[in-house]
Amino acid sequence: MGCFTKFSRPNNTQHAVSGCRVDPKDYMLTGLKDVTVGRLSGKLNGQQFVIQECENCNIYVFDHSATITIDDCVNCRIVLGPVKGSVFFRDCKDIKCVVACQQFRTRDCKKMDVFLCCATQPIIESSTGMKFGCFQYYYPELAFHFKDAGLSIFNNNWSNIHDFTPVSGENNWSLLPEASAVLDFVPAPDSESEFKSVRISSDPSRSIVPLTKGGRRKDSEESCLFVFFAGEYTTANARKMIDEATAKGFVLIQTKEVSMRPEDVKRVFQNSAEDLVEWITKGPVIALELNGDGVVEACKNIAHEVFSGTKIFVSDNKNTSSRDVDSFFNFADMQMGL
Amino acid sequence: MGLLSILRRLKQSPEQEVRLLLLGLDNAGKTTLLKQLAAEDISQITPTQGFNIKSVQSSGFKLNVWDIGGQRKIRPYWRNYFENTDVLIYVIDSSDRKRFEETGLELAELLEEEKLAAVPLLIFANKQDLMTATPASELAESLNLHTIRDRMWQVQACSAVTAEGVQDGMTWVCRNITLRKK
Repeated sequence: MGCFTKFSRPNNTQHAVSGCRVDPKDYMLTGLKDVTVGRLSGKLNGQQFVIQECENCNIYVFDHSATITIDDCVNCRIVLGPVKGSVFFRDCKDIKCVVACQQFRTRDCKKMDVFLCCATQPIIESSTGMKFGCFQYYYPELAFHFKDAGLSIFNNNWSNIHDFTPVSGENNWSLLPEASAVLDFVPAPDSESEFKSVRISSDPSRSIVPLTKGGRRKDSEESCLFVFFAGEYTTANARKMIDEATAKGFVLIQTKEVSMRPEDVKRVFQNSAEDLVEWITKGPVIALELNGDGVVEACKNIAHEVFSGTKIFVSDNKNTSSRDVDSFFNFADMQMGL
Repeated sequence: MGLLSILRRLKQSPEQEVRLLLLGLDNAGKTTLLKQLAAEDISQITPTQGFNIKSVQSSGFKLNVWDIGGQRKIRPYWRNYFENTDVLIYVIDSSDRKRFEETGLELAELLEEEKLAAVPLLIFANKQDLMTATPASELAESLNLHTIRDRMWQVQACSAVTAEGVQDGMTWVCRNITLRKK
């Protein structure tokens, strides 16, 4: 977006000049107190957004953006629609937020509750009282915003935080209680505000990002790997599988959307690899780890009943399924590192 | 411009191993720049916890690019990477006005370092694609770069995500490596 002219100068510098009609103030919230503010869908359209020095505000950013910095804010409740790059909180206190981004960073922050969807490992620095839960949110354009921001709903590292300044004997971060209801932390927009027309929901079953258990302790020793290979309805199929399995009482531990090469297929799927190699060329795969006693049999039944024409892999038996899970997710973690 | 084409240019120089060091505050865009140079995917970049390195080799010549994590806590480790640096590339998030002072201080300290004496300096004024980006010339002024007298230096406006300006910066790097070696 925007218009740029570039020119060379004799004294060692080159710069880009933006000569547009856009007002930077439309992309900033500064020094607000006791109000409900934010941006509706289409207002940011992938640009940068800056939030600073706000106190006791409810801030709703219902659009996708390039990057967002939040500085010197106190006692705010914030929803940030999908961010293509980084979300960076600095010098903030008493924040409750719902965030979707590629990178999540904090520095010098205190007491934050974060419902997070993050494509990479979240990091905190010189921060304390940080609590994390899985992103749970819906508004009508949210699925499109995820696409616009280049974020996959299946790549969510919300529960494994890296702390650059750990303190011996203490924990600067922890996980939110499992049944935490998002709206208890970040309320729906005031019915008097400009956001009253946005039909939001924090019902787990409507969440654009599937609810995952992440790093929390698993209830059962038995896990199952279920992989959808690229096709026309891969995302919809994966969501359907999650619904079928969770309806039967099984738990979704983690998900991943990642591209595979033939050598990866051989390493991950071993004996089953031969048939699968040709399926990876069409696009990334979507993998699920499901957990619970009897989950492998249940997944095989669902595969047979619901997905018989679909290109999938299901763990074959509960003795080898843990190995399937580890092989796949170790590969995926390595793939997504540098 | 890929790493290999940089390497090909360097083969004009008599040296066999060239070392580029990427420094800057956390969130400046160093790793994105590195991945862009290597023509790799930039949609899944993790905040750097230690360092990243990319190496390319061709006909006996080697180019190493070191990208070091920039969080405040780990900046003391930067000095472990100074030795034998041929060009220092300092990356600044031009859209993060709140941290201009901080990045200016870190840069000033680097310029006082013995082990980086006379090392040519390229400053990437990164994130020019963003709304609040400060133009490179303005950045140069506020950082008092005109007071640098002990080495070759250049400020280059760029956007690591779009690759705009990156090639121009690396062209300057190549030219100044040869000069330094002389």
